[in-house]
Amino acid sequence: MAATHASLQAGQVAMTTAPAEQPRIRIRDVTLSYGALQIIGGISVDIAAGETISIIGPSGCGKTTLLRMLAGLARPTTGTVELDGAVLGGPDRSVAIVFQDYGKALLPWRTAAGNVSLALEARGCPAKERPVIIRELLDKIGLGRHADKYPSEMSGGMQQRLQIARCLAQEPKVLLMDEPFGALDAMTRQALQDEVLALVATTGATMVFVTHDLEEAIYLGDRIVCLQPNPGRIGRTVEVRLPRPRDQLVTREDPEFLRLRRELYDLIKDDHQ
Amino acid sequence: MNNLSLRRLLLGLLGLAAFILVWKLITDAKLVSPIFFPSPQRTLTSLINGLGGGPLLGQTLETVERMLLGWLLASLVGIMLGALIGVSRRARAYIAPTLELLRPLPASAMIPIAIAFLGFSDQMVLVVIAFGALWPMLLATIHGFAAMEPRLYEVSAVLGLTRLQIIWKLALPSAMPMILASLRLGLTISLILAVVGEMLASREGLGQSVLLASRSFRSADLFAGIVILGAIGLVGSRLLSAAERRLLRWQATSR
Ligand SMILES: Nc1ncnc2c1ncn2[C@@H]1O[C@H](COP(=O)(O)OP(=O)(O)OP(=O)(O)O)[C@@H](O)[C@H]1O
Ligand SMILES: [Mg+2]
Repeated sequence: MAATHASLQAGQVAMTTAPAEQPRIRIRDVTLSYGALQIIGGISVDIAAGETISIIGPSGCGKTTLLRMLAGLARPTTGTVELDGAVLGGPDRSVAIVFQDYGKALLPWRTAAGNVSLALEARGCPAKERPVIIRELLDKIGLGRHADKYPSEMSGGMQQRLQIARCLAQEPKVLLMDEPFGALDAMTRQALQDEVLALVATTGATMVFVTHDLEEAIYLGDRIVCLQPNPGRIGRTVEVRLPRPRDQLVTREDPEFLRLRRELYDLIKDDHQ
Repeated sequence: MNNLSLRRLLLGLLGLAAFILVWKLITDAKLVSPIFFPSPQRTLTSLINGLGGGPLLGQTLETVERMLLGWLLASLVGIMLGALIGVSRRARAYIAPTLELLRPLPASAMIPIAIAFLGFSDQMVLVVIAFGALWPMLLATIHGFAAMEPRLYEVSAVLGLTRLQIIWKLALPSAMPMILASLRLGLTISLILAVVGEMLASREGLGQSVLLASRSFRSADLFAGIVILGAIGLVGSRLLSAAERRLLRWQATSR
């Protein structure tokens, strides 16, 4: 219970503006242990529908583990993850996850269109309707001209775009992203940040975005959850009061952006000492 | 690209010509009695006569049919059984070691058993072929399933794919490179067993024809049969390689 209160301190403002609304995701006193080793030590967060949460923290503090629990791929040892008020018992089609290793998450024997199609086949979308949906999705994510390419013929950025397109084909309510742009160059990275923000804005999806990059966390998020290691728990939750839509030049020069960057930097630095 | 394959073909033909030349030199010098070892010319004559008006064409078709039927049966059973064992990690752990142990035995050990049950019949030969050629496909499918990228199992769980969809859309295609290679091996085994089966059970076909030719010292006919058997193996393996390249197009660029 103590952890619940601690995590709420900085999130108060968002909570009070819409008090009655049920959160899309409710993480309640979640812990996770592998044998005797505790990896996650009591995390509680509420995430509102349409909100974007960035998660930062030092390597090995449990960011991926937390995200996997939200995806239903790992089970909390104690505590629960709730989606729209119902306890999440396993993977759910309405929660999509974009893996960091895009190369492994795609089917190398299917073209870009075929990879997107997999998500449609899974949810029983009739074969006749698929081409139109695939076309739209690939256009949206900037792969319209590459529908017939195999992943081995695509660049890293294109493959990660493709994975995102497949996740969107799931029509998820929640989009989980685990350092999705870590392996990409700065320009591709910024382009994808903007694409993802636009997609989230139009679909109204809730996003949880794990990253190592403080600026990325600020640029994308409504709130930033800072995890501390051994065992993984919430150190601070920071509100991001920057106007949307965000802009790579304007937002990043905003005094608030710079202040947040400084604040987070000091916070992380403390963790590393 | 085309230039390269043309050169390869030329080199291959050159090697074949050299082989035939050595063959001719040996027979011309009479190093081995012509009763056992015919010259290339005599072999060719026998080949042309046999395929023209003689029984060779019919026998070839018999053997090819036997080989293909057995191979299809072996592939179907091998891949289906392999998929059943392969999807379950536990089944894999229990069954795979036993299979590895059994693999070197079956083809030959199976023949007396098959004869006991089915007599000297076409069915017996078919069963022996299918059973002997089953192993490469079975093991390749099991290994292919086991080697599937674990991340893809997670992707399928998140997308909500059914078990059947996982087998059909993920595991089988990802095991396809291994399975296709095993199909080629299986075809070779099928050809060998078709010939052996014909010899043992006196069924119509190249195997029997070759055996009879050898017993009556018709060395030219014997060699004509062997040449055809070699050609069948070559054509089969080439056709499967071509199919492999087509089906694995997605791999080609990554190498
Ligand atoms: N299957 C497992 N068995 C045992 N320990 C594990 C397992 N998976 C993860 N861990 C441990 O859990 C801790 C958290 O791992 P996790 O991958 O969640 O960290 P992370 O914050 O995502 O790190 P990074 O930023 O490097 O990706 C690590 O110390 C790791 O060693
Ligand atoms: Mg991680």
